[in-house]
Amino acid sequence: MNDNVGNDSFDEAAQDDALEEALRRAAAILDPVPAELRHLAVEAYALHSLRDLDARLAELTFDSLVDALPVRGADVPRMLTFSTGDLTVDIEVTAEGLTGQVLPPQPARIEILGTAQPTATGTVTADEMGRFLCDLLLTGPFALRLRTDEEVVVTEWLRV
Amino acid sequence: MTSCSGTVLLSRITAGIPHSAAYDDLPYTRGGAVDRDAVGALVQSAADGDAAAWKALVDGLSPLVWSVVRAHRLSDADAHEVYQTAWFRFAQHLDRIREPHKAGSWLASTARHECLKVIKSTRRLTPTDDPQVLDGISEDRTPEESLIESEEAAAEAERIRRMWQEFEELGDRCRELLRVLMASPPPSYQEVSGALGIAVGSIGPLRQRCLRRLRARLVARGVR
Repeated sequence: MNDNVGNDSFDEAAQDDALEEALRRAAAILDPVPAELRHLAVEAYALHSLRDLDARLAELTFDSLVDALPVRGADVPRMLTFSTGDLTVDIEVTAEGLTGQVLPPQPARIEILGTAQPTATGTVTADEMGRFLCDLLLTGPFALRLRTDEEVVVTEWLRV
Repeated sequence: MTSCSGTVLLSRITAGIPHSAAYDDLPYTRGGAVDRDAVGALVQSAADGDAAAWKALVDGLSPLVWSVVRAHRLSDADAHEVYQTAWFRFAQHLDRIREPHKAGSWLASTARHECLKVIKSTRRLTPTDDPQVLDGISEDRTPEESLIESEEAAAEAERIRRMWQEFEELGDRCRELLRVLMASPPPSYQEVSGALGIAVGSIGPLRQRCLRRLRARLVARGVR
C-alpha cells in the first residue's frame, strides 16, 4: 500500500477489487474448468498410489524444442532425453512414431502410458543395444515406464 | 487413518469462504484465498497416500491451472493436454516437491512452461474471440439456469457477457494477467509470477493499470 493514499485512491482500489471479483464470477460461469478435466486430474492420483514404490523418476534433461537451435520445417523430430542417476533414455518423436535408446545399452521392456488409461497403452521392447522403435503415434501427454533387469524407471509426463 | 486428515484439511480450505446465492454450486468463487499452509499439509497427506487430500488439491488449484492455460490462448485441444500434463506431472512429483506450500506456484509455472512449448511448436494461436466461450452463457449449466430465470437475471447475464467481451479485447499483457488473477480462489502473487514469468513486484502495479483500463472500456461502452 502507498503511504499517500487519499480517499479517492481507496475508492479506486475498492473498485479494482470489485472488478476483479466480478471477473472471477464471470470466469466461473463463462470459462470454468471443464468437468472432464477436473475428473482426469483427480484420476491422476492413481499414478502416485499405483506407482511401483521402487520406480525411479527420470526427469526431462533435454528437449530439442527449448534446448536446441530452432529448426524450421514441419517434420522436425522432437528429441528428448530423460535421465535418472546413470540411466538415460533418448527419444525421438516423429510423425511416424517413436524411436529411442536406453543408455547404458541394455534390454528393457517399455510401456507407453497415456492419460486416457494411465495404467497401460503400448508396449515395446528395447534390444540388447537398448534401441527401441514403435509406430505408435503419440497424441497428448505420455510417459514411459521402463523395466530393465535391475530397476523400474518412469519418465516425467510430457506432451509432444 | 490418513483419510481423516484429508477431510479435516479439506474443510479448513473451504471454511470462511462466503457464498452468494447464485453461485452456491461453484466452489471458491468468492473471497478468501486457499490457505497456503493447508496446501502444504495437503501435499504431504496426498504424498502419504491420502486420496481425499489429493482431491482437495485438485478442487483448490484446478482453476489456477486452467486460468494459466487459458491466459496463453491455446486451442482447446492443446489447453486440455497442457492441463493434464501439469496434473500428471504433479502426481509424479508429489513426494519430491521441495516446498509443498508452494504447490500452486509449481503447478502454475509447470503449466506455463508447457504452454510456451505448445506455442513454440505450433506457432498457431486461436483467434481472439473463442465462440465457445462467448456462447457459454446460453448453454445449460446449472448456475446459468438459475440466472436466466428472471429478467433481472437475464440482464445480469448480458452484463457479464459484455464485460467478458471487453476483457477479451484487452491487450495481451492485461488479458493474460487478468485471466490468471481471476482464478478462483484468488491466486497469490507468487503463483501469478509462476504462471506468467513476471516479477512479483510488478504484478500489483500492472494489475491496477489493467483493471483501470478495463473499467474505462466498460464505462465507455455503458457496461456497469
